[in-house]
Amino acid sequence: MFEKGLWFQNYKQSKFIIWILLVLFVLQMPLQAILSLETWTERAEQAAETDEYVYEVQAWDINQIFSQGMFTVFVAVALVLLASLLIGLERNTRRNDFTFSLPYKRSTLFYAKWALGVTVITGFFALNYIPSYIIIHQSEFAYGLNLVSSLEIFWAPLLGYIFFYTFALLIGAITGEMVSQVVLTFLLGFLPLILLTLFQEFMQVHDFFFFSIGSQPRFITYLTPFYYTIGEMGEMIGIFLAVLFTIICTLGGAALYERNKIEYNGEFLIFKQLNPVFIVILTIIIALFGGLIVSSLAPWGANALRIISYWIGFSTFLLFALLLIRRLIIMNITFSGKPT
Amino acid sequence: MEVKHISKVIHHQTILADIEFEVIPGNIVGIVGRNGAGKTTLLRSMAGILKPTKGDITIDGQSIFLKPSLKAQTIFVPDSSEALKNYSTKELIYLYKSIYPHFDQQYLEALMNRFSLEPINKIGNYSKGMKALFTLIVAFATKAKYILLDEPTDGLDVIIKKQILQILIEEVADKDVAVIISSHRLDELEFMANDVILIKDGRVDSHYELDSMKELYKKIQLVFETELPEEIAENTYVLEQTGRVSTVLIPRDSTAVEELISSYHPLLYEELSMSLEDYFIAKLGGDDNV
Repeated sequence: MFEKGLWFQNYKQSKFIIWILLVLFVLQMPLQAILSLETWTERAEQAAETDEYVYEVQAWDINQIFSQGMFTVFVAVALVLLASLLIGLERNTRRNDFTFSLPYKRSTLFYAKWALGVTVITGFFALNYIPSYIIIHQSEFAYGLNLVSSLEIFWAPLLGYIFFYTFALLIGAITGEMVSQVVLTFLLGFLPLILLTLFQEFMQVHDFFFFSIGSQPRFITYLTPFYYTIGEMGEMIGIFLAVLFTIICTLGGAALYERNKIEYNGEFLIFKQLNPVFIVILTIIIALFGGLIVSSLAPWGANALRIISYWIGFSTFLLFALLLIRRLIIMNITFSGKPT
Repeated sequence: MEVKHISKVIHHQTILADIEFEVIPGNIVGIVGRNGAGKTTLLRSMAGILKPTKGDITIDGQSIFLKPSLKAQTIFVPDSSEALKNYSTKELIYLYKSIYPHFDQQYLEALMNRFSLEPINKIGNYSKGMKALFTLIVAFATKAKYILLDEPTDGLDVIIKKQILQILIEEVADKDVAVIISSHRLDELEFMANDVILIKDGRVDSHYELDSMKELYKKIQLVFETELPEEIAENTYVLEQTGRVSTVLIPRDSTAVEELISSYHPLLYEELSMSLEDYFIAKLGGDDNV
């Protein structure tokens, strides 16, 4: 994990996205903190002109700077790209041959990739968190920091990013190339939420409920990796799960990477025994999605028409899914490069 | 280094089947075979890149898959420098120095000077020949004991080829290293290799020391009054046939075949010098096969 050659090699092939990540953190935290202070000052001045109204910064405003908002989504995307440059792109090119010929265990190669990402995330996050915190702390809105806990604004986003990056590496250990790594990371990153939404719609259209539909159950949030990146885990259990899932994904990823058959590089999945599982999951999701889309075109009151249109959409998308997935399974994307 | 009964199955197809041989430092081993015979798969397995379905690769009696640190004694040079094209020479030296503990920077710089290779910001900007030369020099600078080269001279001009062959021979002669080369260029292998392994359909078809192999067969040019008699064609390896002139390969110690030829009273019977290429064309069954 601490072999300096591997650190250099991994940095060399991912430095572009590493520096983009730094820029995103700068925009998210210090820059947003400065701009938010200006906005809050302006609002406070406007409020002062109005009788009986005092502007107060809310917890939400602070969370937007440290753990929520659109920049967290951009950071999550950058983390997936970082993981895919370190594993997926290696598979698309000849770099994997070079890496696997080096005198290290494959698990060591995986841990080196993990360690680089975690160091970058932790370093850049802390580097931007500290000045942003100080900027707010030195301002007249310092009381805003008392409205949030360190779990919410430091530990949850940091550990959430680390977990999501590790999750993307784990997916890289089972997929055969970069595009499938990115696509499956996002698909599986949202899977519990996607399945819940699709099954809810299925039951609603048929007016037949296996389980009660309410607001989104909290366990779905805990099981959806993407939620860990957007400031949804600012509580003890969320932190615990982020750490637990990170450990599982790191150890699991290293074990799977150790067993990689890189002769299948360029194909959708490295482990052929996983093909049936993904075929079934993808087919069901696409078909249910087709039902959801087409049934939404029917009037809400016309129940029979909604059910018919649901099944028309389901069948059509099922057909698309079968054609698409067959192609996915036999694809091979490798750039072998010109000889010498 | 020992290749111990390795087999490799990819997509239910057997690419390598029960391959076994030993590589001893101080030798240049040529691996030859048709396209798709499994040469590159064999080299990638020997470099520890692919795990064999069965069998093992050992160095000093230990498996390189169980003890990957042994791979510090091997280096794989693929037929493309794609993996390292974005590195500068300085960065590449740093990378190799931190991975291979005995990396000899002075040797590398000396050879770069000798072959007029200037340090560069991006190895991908070297010409094709320079890239080949540079990756080979880097490979030797690692001081690895086993150098695995996949088609090292493919598509290079004569001058670069000569330089590459020169380095190979000098290094093997001076140091205790083994070079394992997969190549289509039988004429080049003949010039360098002292051990040749022929791979056919994923198996070791034959494994010869080059000098002893040449003693096994002789190449004869025959001219008959009519075409080559069918009985002779069936009992020899026909290398070439143009009209009444035929070139065949026969076992050197086979008096039966010699007698068969003389029984047809050839107008011309002349022994020609035999090349490695002749042997493999005959062995693989046709000159479009190698």
